[in-house]
Amino acid sequence: MTIAPLQQAALPTARAIRWAPLLGVSGLLLVVLLLARSADRPVDVVLALASAALASVVVAALHDPAAALLAAVPVSAMQRRVLRLTLVLLPVLALWWVSTVISDSSPGTGNPVPLLALAAAGVAVAVWSPPHLGVLVGAFVPVAWYALDTTVPGAGVLSDVAGWWHTAPGAVLAVALLVLVAGRRR
Amino acid sequence: MSAVASTLPISRPRRRTGAVVRALALAESRRMLRNPLLWAGAGLSVWMMWSVVPEPADEWPGASYEGMAVCVVPLLFAVSVVSAVSFHRERLEVAAEAPVRETQRTVARLVATLPLLLVTVAYAALLAWRQRDLGGLSLGMEPGRTTEALSTTAELAQPVVLTVLAVATGAALGRRLPLVSAVPLLFVMWFLVSVYWLFGDAAITPLSILQVQPVRLHAGSPYADPLDFPTHWLLEGPGEFSAQWSRVFVSGALAWWHAVWLLGLSTLWVAVAVPRGRGRRWLVAAGSFLAVVGVVAQYLVFP
Repeated sequence: MTIAPLQQAALPTARAIRWAPLLGVSGLLLVVLLLARSADRPVDVVLALASAALASVVVAALHDPAAALLAAVPVSAMQRRVLRLTLVLLPVLALWWVSTVISDSSPGTGNPVPLLALAAAGVAVAVWSPPHLGVLVGAFVPVAWYALDTTVPGAGVLSDVAGWWHTAPGAVLAVALLVLVAGRRR
Repeated sequence: MSAVASTLPISRPRRRTGAVVRALALAESRRMLRNPLLWAGAGLSVWMMWSVVPEPADEWPGASYEGMAVCVVPLLFAVSVVSAVSFHRERLEVAAEAPVRETQRTVARLVATLPLLLVTVAYAALLAWRQRDLGGLSLGMEPGRTTEALSTTAELAQPVVLTVLAVATGAALGRRLPLVSAVPLLFVMWFLVSVYWLFGDAAITPLSILQVQPVRLHAGSPYADPLDFPTHWLLEGPGEFSAQWSRVFVSGALAWWHAVWLLGLSTLWVAVAVPRGRGRRWLVAAGSFLAVVGVVAQYLVFP
């Protein structure tokens, strides 16, 4: 991996990333968590929702209007994606930690691995989808998966699969990373 | 380019403008109805609603009544995204010689969302039928209990009014942000709304988005004799979620005024989607008025 160009590109890339979605999502989540904490209500559902929302924000950060222009540069598309993901994951994980501290949640619900699993799944879909739609489709994956998990009723195969992102996040993360490695030249 | 367009004299005949607006509305309407996300959201909502059944007598009363009200959330999210996709097309500048200005195009896109309201009307009708097919739902506990509770007309109208809000929110975010940025925001908004118990307190529920009735009002201390309460009251006793006797309050008037509040919010969101000018100022004024009236009236409805 060419480190020096990525280091030079870090600050301009950080400026190019749209931070408004992260700020908007953060504001809404923190307000609701504070509301739940003050009302002494369970917050596990809100934290699960936060996982999906933040994972979608992470994938959405891959949106680069200059992607076609940058296709000719010697730094590969995957390296540029890794740079963007690194830049956005740092504040997202910091926000996740703040959320778990505020919510004073039950043990286990503060684990960031489900968030990472959803984000990795979304990035994998974005990488393998057609370029002009990839990031949008990938950003949909975490929210669609969460929506499916919360709406599919009862027990059954579909219900089990829909819950994998939080019942087996390590496996989901591993599979998504393998898919990304397979698509490293895309 | 927009500055150039705004200085051009308005010389086109009104009939051609109306025809263009109608044509754009029809085209956008077809595109929205062909979006698979709309039908996926509708399908999920119907599936959720169909899976709600009256709870056993020894379980928390009202779970099914409240659960059915929340099932509309996937449909609302889908409507918001479909609306955002349509208004996102407005982010591309058109030529100064375009047959209509952005304001007329915005009106056309809003008119194009009318079929989405019909989809929600059908959903609300299905919900009403489902409740009657189940023989009603349970609310309250003895001596103030019913097993034949049906949503009021005002409560059934809420999904339709929420669709107006969903359209307006999608329009605003789709017009002002890239779609990849709008999707997480819309998701958080609608699925946070579904955590309805956070906003169910009598002091907060007038300001909520998805208002789920009943509202619990203080009736008496945990040592009160429930037979002393008015016989027409539905009641909940002290338990896991409350240390007192509560009156289970369902009000059509509360729901109707909540609809006024939602229409005010919708108008404010549409103001974000339209171009700057007199139209936006009127929308902000009207939306603010409706929102304030809706909230104040809801607080006045509480006994």
